[in-house]
Amino acid sequence: MWRGLWTLVARAARGPRSPRPCTRQGSGAPAPGSGATVFALSSGQGRCGIAVIRTSGPASGQALRSLTAPRDLPPARKACLRLLSDPRSGEPLDRALVLWFPGPQSFTGEDCAEFHVHGGPAVVSGVLQALGSVPGLRPAEAGEFTRRAFAHGKLSLTEVEGLADLIHAETEAQRRQALRQLDGELSHLCRGWAETLTKALAHVEAYIDFGEDDNLEEGILDRADSEVRELEVALGAHLRDARRGQRLRSGAHVVVAGPPNAGKSSLVNLLSRKPVSIVSPEPGTTRDVLETPVDLAGFPALLSDTAGLREGVGPVEQEGVRRAQKRLEQADLILAVLDASDLASPSSCNFLDTAVIPAGAGSPNGRSQRLLLVLNKSDLLPAGGPDPSADLPPYLLLSCLTGEGLDGLLEALRKELAALCGDPSTGPPLLTRARHQHHLQGCLDALGHYKQAKDLALAAEALRVARGHLTRITGGGGTEEILDIIFQDFCVGK
Amino acid sequence: MSCNPSFGGIGKGHLMREVDALDGLCSRICDQSGVHYKVLNRRKGPAVWGLRAQIDRKLYKQNMQKEILNTPLLTVQEGAVEDLILAEPEPEHTGKYRVSGVVLVNGSTVYAESVVLTTGTFLRGMIVIGLEMHPAGRLGDQPSIGLAQTLEKLGFVVGRLKTGTPPRIAKESINFSILNKQTPDNPSIPFSFINETVWIKPEDQLPCYLTHTNPQVDEIVLENLHLNCHIKETTKGPRYCPSIESKVLRFPNRLHQVWLEPEGMDSDLIYPQGLSVTLPAELQEKMITCIRGLEKAKMIQPGYGVQYDYLDPRQITPSLETHLVQRLFFAGQINGTTGYEEAAAQGVIAGINASLRVRHKPPFVISRTEGYIGVLIDDLTTLGTNEPYRMFTSRAEFRLSLRPDNADSRLTFRGYKEAGCVSQQRYERATWMKSSLEEGISVLKSIEFPSSKWKNLIPEASISIGKSLPLRALDVLKYEEVDIELLSKAVPEPLRKYTKCRELAERLKIEATYESVLFHQQQEIKEVQRDEALQLPKDLDYLTLRDVSLSHEVREKLHFSRPQTIGAASRIPGVTPAAIINLLRFVKTTQQRQAAMDRLPKTDQHLCNTDKLEDRQL
Repeated sequence: MWRGLWTLVARAARGPRSPRPCTRQGSGAPAPGSGATVFALSSGQGRCGIAVIRTSGPASGQALRSLTAPRDLPPARKACLRLLSDPRSGEPLDRALVLWFPGPQSFTGEDCAEFHVHGGPAVVSGVLQALGSVPGLRPAEAGEFTRRAFAHGKLSLTEVEGLADLIHAETEAQRRQALRQLDGELSHLCRGWAETLTKALAHVEAYIDFGEDDNLEEGILDRADSEVRELEVALGAHLRDARRGQRLRSGAHVVVAGPPNAGKSSLVNLLSRKPVSIVSPEPGTTRDVLETPVDLAGFPALLSDTAGLREGVGPVEQEGVRRAQKRLEQADLILAVLDASDLASPSSCNFLDTAVIPAGAGSPNGRSQRLLLVLNKSDLLPAGGPDPSADLPPYLLLSCLTGEGLDGLLEALRKELAALCGDPSTGPPLLTRARHQHHLQGCLDALGHYKQAKDLALAAEALRVARGHLTRITGGGGTEEILDIIFQDFCVGK
Repeated sequence: MSCNPSFGGIGKGHLMREVDALDGLCSRICDQSGVHYKVLNRRKGPAVWGLRAQIDRKLYKQNMQKEILNTPLLTVQEGAVEDLILAEPEPEHTGKYRVSGVVLVNGSTVYAESVVLTTGTFLRGMIVIGLEMHPAGRLGDQPSIGLAQTLEKLGFVVGRLKTGTPPRIAKESINFSILNKQTPDNPSIPFSFINETVWIKPEDQLPCYLTHTNPQVDEIVLENLHLNCHIKETTKGPRYCPSIESKVLRFPNRLHQVWLEPEGMDSDLIYPQGLSVTLPAELQEKMITCIRGLEKAKMIQPGYGVQYDYLDPRQITPSLETHLVQRLFFAGQINGTTGYEEAAAQGVIAGINASLRVRHKPPFVISRTEGYIGVLIDDLTTLGTNEPYRMFTSRAEFRLSLRPDNADSRLTFRGYKEAGCVSQQRYERATWMKSSLEEGISVLKSIEFPSSKWKNLIPEASISIGKSLPLRALDVLKYEEVDIELLSKAVPEPLRKYTKCRELAERLKIEATYESVLFHQQQEIKEVQRDEALQLPKDLDYLTLRDVSLSHEVREKLHFSRPQTIGAASRIPGVTPAAIINLLRFVKTTQQRQAAMDRLPKTDQHLCNTDKLEDRQL
């Protein structure tokens, strides 16, 4: 990030007389070398009626055209309603107001486009990802719009006084954001990949710098090749895995589970505000997994009602229980429902022991599985609350019948889903995700060039580019790191 | 040449080509003095080819002295320098003192407008063999103590480094017949752009031989570590393995290469490259005779280690002038580098700048986007070093652009126009080459045929005919098996004339190989160059500077390295993006004030000057 970041800054210093890298009334493909086009969510974060996504740079016109295809660019500086769709899949994203500001009469002085979309995280995420797929576009770095505006003389020096603080704050936020997001599986993966790649590059570099007159072991290039191949497979699989990257778009998987007759289906109906499941006092009413997409506290979610967990009485119900258990394993969030008035029953105790307690303790396979324990039928409880003798983890009281406790449950859901999907009110996670995807794709493309390169210097260059992309996610990436590996792994030099 | 009898190598050959492009001497002298020319990395792509040659020590010395002594207007005086003559600093430059000459060991003085110090391993040099240490810059030469003390007293930060040299072996005592023989290239590729060939035919050149260490060598080294103080010392040696001791210690149970290299045409010495050692002499001899082919070898001179002072190179500017003493320049091992080539690279830059400084001309600085020399000096002056700094191609981020073949297009024109260090003959040759290349490339771009036609014309090439787009001749030239010769057989007009000059034909092929990647690299290079165009005022006092919000840590770092551009400042570890923006704003404000002043009528000049004074007081 470092170099790109401050190269822009340096551009800023040349002031308004510098030649402007923008084209008028976008002529299609971006002119090569006239600078990248960046995009970002510019409106306040969080759930809001309207979110504004901005692009700046020579490919802005191209971006606007590809998302609003087959319509042409709207007249300059006039709001127009357009159907936005993903240029790759054609999948509709939103009906939105779009604006076209050809440079230099724009906020940054470059060609700019604005998309005023409906403010749900799913829509915003979808539009950002669609923009990321337009050639020549990349997610903006911290403070980049402001810096570009400065570069084109759109901000006075005094207005830029605060820029350093701003960049400091934003890079801090981005770093924290990256840390937050990197604090899990992705972090592990990215660091692992970057390590593999650095090592492969170090080996290729060692072969270039020391291959002739020193005794490197045989086959270090073959090893680098196979490492790159494995990396390519892993990256490809990761990028294809829609689930991890697009949880926010398609929704988190929330599974309602519990012993029979605890009121799971009532809860599903309450949360989805429609009768999804048949509700009856008879245990074992729900036998299959019923899914319904819902908006839970502002987040898109896929809500699954499952069969009550018990030793099934018939083969159909047994199959239902098996499916319920499978669904539980895949859940992002479990809503564990118990009958508050029936905590001492064997089925309640069994469910607590086998599903609730293990999830709270962290699952053995290292996957984070979140769980909210809901005690339903609070209306049946005596004034003193649930039986204090039952040793319960933290729980929420709810009555699906009266609706009491629903607000508390929604608030708890909001927190859990925010943690799962990235809380739009605490930072730009959508952008971070778009950045990750952008750089992972860039890395994968460069690895492709590595394989094709006949000339070893060209092959090493491809690996350098690939590593540059990865280290923009994980940090690091200096030459010294490579030399360290070379000197550690090989006896070279004279 | 006080150590290895060779010049060039991977990365080092790049430096030599650049030195030559600036009309430095070592490449031309090597073309007259080599005994075995061989380009390394031939199979790995022209960007990383390493020109290298075994050099005859005696011939090199003779030819070099002849060249130097015949240089017009150059006076040569031999004598050890003991002290510097210092004077009041020039007020319009930074620095506490100004050097005005040197005092020799015999007490005589030599006055000079600028002084370049190239102390090699002589500053408080100490030779180590086994447990014995004695002061010497090189076997048989006195070290330089007085000068080291002077520099320390002036306030230079001094560090210590170590290096070593292998024993020398009598040629006739070696059984070459059982060893692997390496023959030189045919034809030999000269180092210098102005030579089409070297002084000696390939068949008259001398071979090198390869042998290996074995477990007995390991054993001798490991059993006698207690007799080896060079290895135990805390003085920093390099992370790469220059001595057999560090090879054995860090990579045990392996066979290590030993190249047996001739020291010259009529020399009866062999230099066993890879066997640098500081064991006591009798153990060295014992170790040598364990090695295949050396069973009966006679050691003529033992290997030894050298420890010496160097000065933290962050104390010099990219023109190699010291921050502390005006007109004093440092080049070579005094700045913490290894090798002849790194030294030559700094020597040519220090020499150019010492002369420009006297003539009040702006300094001549090579950017890291322009050459390995720039990478070397930028790394040294912004990052410093704590091991002998050696050039590797992996240090150059723009490796595909900074190639041995195009050093003249990168540097010769600047050297001619800005430094005046390039001869007319070289300038004209470089101009001809540059325009021929440009013309050749545009001709190659203009020839377009469908791929099927190309396939018919050049069946040897692995052109896939599936592509519907027409291919340019330049694209066809990218194929490994295609060269200008082959291409001109397919399209004789207008390509035939490009086969006439071997160098031109080869360079066209290289340009084609890298064409697509170079386009992107050019963009990146431009960005870096823009950053480097933003100069920081030389007299900024970072420690007391108000109006700029900088952390104490950043101030200290900037104060010590004194970066000259925003680009250099950003490469100093620990200088944050926010600090860069603050500096930038400061520079910008200063520039605006300057511009406003420049617009004032000339008669108000004295007013401007007082303004400037006030500026500095800030």
